[in-house]
Amino acid sequence: MPKPLSRRRFIGQASCAALGSTTLLSSLASLMGTNKLMSTSLEDPGDYKALICILLAGGNDSFNMLVPRGESEYAEYAATRTDLALPRENLLPIDAPSQNKLLGIHPSMTHVHQLYQQGNLAFMTNVGTLVEPISNEQEFRSGVKKLPLGIYSHSDQIQQWQTAIPQSREAIGWGGRMADLLQETDTNTGISMNISLSGRNVFQSGQNTLEYSISNRGNGVQGVEGYRYWNGNQGFLTDLRDGAYKNMVDRMYANVFEQTVGSLTNQTLESIESFESAIQQVAPFTTSFGEHYFSQNMHMVARTIAANSLLGNRRQTFFMTFGGWDHHNEVLNNQEYMLGVVSKAIGDLYAALGEIGLEDKVTTFTISDFARTLTSNGNGSDHAWGGNAIVAGGAVNGGDVYGDYPDLYVRDNPLMVSRRGNLIPTTAADEFFAELILWFGVSPNDLSIILPNINNFYSPNSRQAPLGFIL
Amino acid sequence: MARIFSNALLIAGILLPVLTFSQKPIRIGGGNTGGVHVSSSDQQQHDPGSTLDGIGKQPNLSAASRFLGQATLGADYQTIVAASQMGYGEWLGTQFETPRAFYLEDLTKQLTATALDSALTRGDDPNRVEPRLHYWHTAWWQYTMTSPDLLRARVALALSEIFVISEVPELGDHPLALANYYDMLLDHAFGNYRDLLEAITLHPAMGIYLTHVNNPKAAPSLNRFPDENYAREVMQLFSIGLYMLHPDGSLILDEKGQPVPTYNNENIQELAKVFTGLSFGDNYLFGQEALSEQSYLHPMWMFNSWHEPGPKVLPLGDTIPDRNPVDGMADIHDALDHLANHPNVGPFIGRLLIQRLVKSNPSPEYIARVSAAFADNGQGVRGDLKAVIRAILLDPEARDCYYVNDPWQGMLREPLVRYTQLCRAFNASNDDGLYRNRMDDFHRATFQRPLASPSVFNFFQPDYQPIGPVADNNLVGPEFQITNSVSITGYANLLHQWLVFNQEVMEFRSIAGEDKTDERRIYLDLEEEIQMAENGHLAQAIERFNLVLAHGQLSETNRQLILSTVTAMETEDPEDQLRLALFLIMVSPDYLILK
Repeated sequence: MPKPLSRRRFIGQASCAALGSTTLLSSLASLMGTNKLMSTSLEDPGDYKALICILLAGGNDSFNMLVPRGESEYAEYAATRTDLALPRENLLPIDAPSQNKLLGIHPSMTHVHQLYQQGNLAFMTNVGTLVEPISNEQEFRSGVKKLPLGIYSHSDQIQQWQTAIPQSREAIGWGGRMADLLQETDTNTGISMNISLSGRNVFQSGQNTLEYSISNRGNGVQGVEGYRYWNGNQGFLTDLRDGAYKNMVDRMYANVFEQTVGSLTNQTLESIESFESAIQQVAPFTTSFGEHYFSQNMHMVARTIAANSLLGNRRQTFFMTFGGWDHHNEVLNNQEYMLGVVSKAIGDLYAALGEIGLEDKVTTFTISDFARTLTSNGNGSDHAWGGNAIVAGGAVNGGDVYGDYPDLYVRDNPLMVSRRGNLIPTTAADEFFAELILWFGVSPNDLSIILPNINNFYSPNSRQAPLGFIL
Repeated sequence: MARIFSNALLIAGILLPVLTFSQKPIRIGGGNTGGVHVSSSDQQQHDPGSTLDGIGKQPNLSAASRFLGQATLGADYQTIVAASQMGYGEWLGTQFETPRAFYLEDLTKQLTATALDSALTRGDDPNRVEPRLHYWHTAWWQYTMTSPDLLRARVALALSEIFVISEVPELGDHPLALANYYDMLLDHAFGNYRDLLEAITLHPAMGIYLTHVNNPKAAPSLNRFPDENYAREVMQLFSIGLYMLHPDGSLILDEKGQPVPTYNNENIQELAKVFTGLSFGDNYLFGQEALSEQSYLHPMWMFNSWHEPGPKVLPLGDTIPDRNPVDGMADIHDALDHLANHPNVGPFIGRLLIQRLVKSNPSPEYIARVSAAFADNGQGVRGDLKAVIRAILLDPEARDCYYVNDPWQGMLREPLVRYTQLCRAFNASNDDGLYRNRMDDFHRATFQRPLASPSVFNFFQPDYQPIGPVADNNLVGPEFQITNSVSITGYANLLHQWLVFNQEVMEFRSIAGEDKTDERRIYLDLEEEIQMAENGHLAQAIERFNLVLAHGQLSETNRQLILSTVTAMETEDPEDQLRLALFLIMVSPDYLILK
């Protein structure tokens, strides 16, 4: 277990008392407010780490990403999935020491397979949004257990993977809370530790933190173009214009929307130059990334990571969405192509990070709305719940599958919510996140600030890793 | 060169019925604006006390401009003057009666035919000619710039951001389907909600987008069950939302103080049975793929043998009867009647429409007034969208100038509407009369173009809260969801090109091999303002921009700043000054927030 980042004992001790009397979120907000005043720099400036969150938006049919291949389990899988079953012989075989089942990876995920075999990639299995553990269908229906809101709704589930608060609809994500806590916005560059390739997102939004949005083109950011060829007057005119622009957005407005759009613009204008100059200093990689925009996003992430010391952030999170997984139709063909894209992008990322020796410092994980119904609707699958996820990186205790790979028979399976084949998650998203957050360097005492439900699944001071995939 | 010339003629010939329209000044119903001559606009005092909140009185110019900022995709000075002379109520009445200029599908087809003729003339392979995505974008712009039904065009865009389909992931290959869907929204913009709901439900583009086309009944022995996608989204997004609502849009709470869900997963599974058995309208077999592009242009057809038989329980407990023989379309009618009559629809859809047209955070009273209009248009008719639009736009909260200075008032203008507003305010045009615009750069810069949302949840969601004072006050600001470092500079750079550099304001892409000649480039027309400035009335010209774009709402501080900045340019050419002034107005928070 790495050394905790910093000295927020104060928070850890104060939090319990504060949480008793007021609502959960207002206390969190006030704690963070307090923390802002208390915050100092990280203890070990040289210790760079990054988390990359990949949102497979739409609901990846992840029981076709990680598939049983043992004879009887495969037969069970094939009977449930009918026309959606992958041929057994095509699966890329893996050993998973923690499981009592033989498993295989989707045939198009060759890069992922290779990273797994090298011990640099692991899977979480039957992981999902939970407020508290639910052991079976009876408990699910009992009305006693708190359930996530809108279990099968895209918007709710996408939000909850990012907020880690499935009992309410929140706009603040756990990556944002982490940034609030770590205060890792470099004051010189004004660039947030949370960097997004997919624009505004919940995961990276904090009480006091916004994501910094970049694109996969050029240097990632683009300033406002200046005057050109204006009789030698172009420099003067550009300064004049920029001065007026800046003046208008760097001012207080009584109207809350004017104030918000002004300050967003102001932050953007301030940060662009610093980002551009940092990224321009990064040497090109020899690894060639694919043409797909998702690969191009990954390339920009790798460049930004390479520029981390110039950007001045010792911790960074990256967020990117790869959409289009809502395969009510044509799941087999679409997924084959899209999983291949994901696999290659992750493979290329780690090849590039290997070139700069940062592969152990960067951990990548996937989230998705939900897995899909195991049974078919004729050509695709519908919205379900617990599913499988990827975690990759040199620090990962790879070559294994964490959690309990479920039985996939539908009738009388205690984990099935309905005969469509919707599985109750046996590992909470919170446990998955807790381990990533601790690896990132957050103190166990602060874990419940970032994951308010974590004590329902894991005792932060137990000195044991939540799942063991990276600690 | 001769070849190109003949293509140009061909396009002009085929488009003639449309193009004659684009050359005329826009007329608002009976109020011909042609004779209006205004030599000065700096008389426009921004005096809330003198502004009107009633119907039938004569609004002043900045109030009329503000009204048109809500009710149109942009208005030029003449249109503002005309509306100020008509009054709001009459303007709305006239707009409700104004017919559409043309159908987007027809123009998209015409452009395809032109491309085909051109390919044949050139000896190119005609099989490679097909409707292209930029044909549909061109048709959309042609409509936006030339059709006189300004209100309908504004409402249709709002509907397209509520009843979402998108070019992503696959409908981009079927631009005729996108055009036809948008035509359907235009047709129903002033119709009845129940009809709109049915048209959306049966539209093949929606069938593809939310996957209820070729959705078969259950076959439990095969572990096959009806697709739940449309059943869920039609409730969550298109009709009743997630929670039971009071007529004022506030949540109904149970005895524990918790919100009451409108439906559960069993309801979804039941409703999913209703949307089984639909296939393309020209199919003779269920389950067939589309036979041709025509398949995307006709309502889906019910194949009763593939429709789930038996009763179906609806969210509020009504049951669709066990019809024998099976009658899938009757089941759908029952289900849509049930949804359209659900008490949530008025406040749910009403709030969404207010958010698209007027403000992000309507008061409960405002929502209640709009949902009352939804429930009864005054003649006992429920779901009359004309009554809803009238209620939204004539509400004191939309009209009363008190709200201009309310610090919680307003909405961030979405980038697409800023764009249309600029082009319409200054009559962007070319000599050739066709508004080619592929919108690729614009889309990349701002994340928007029509029917291109990344998901069914639109470009931004109705409850998005930007951090800072908006969230701190528990308000929402949907359009902020696509406002970030990429789109802020992307927008500023587009403005810089269009305004400061005076480049074309639309992205040319050839339809039929024609070249980008000067007569096809589209520019803004700032002639009148330049004249003013050249006659020594620079401040007056800038005030005209303020009126037309910002409804006269530039703060005194920013007005002075802009004036002193352009005065400091040390240029001989007042046009340079005006162009920078226009840029600065369009990046000012005063303009960006519609109040």
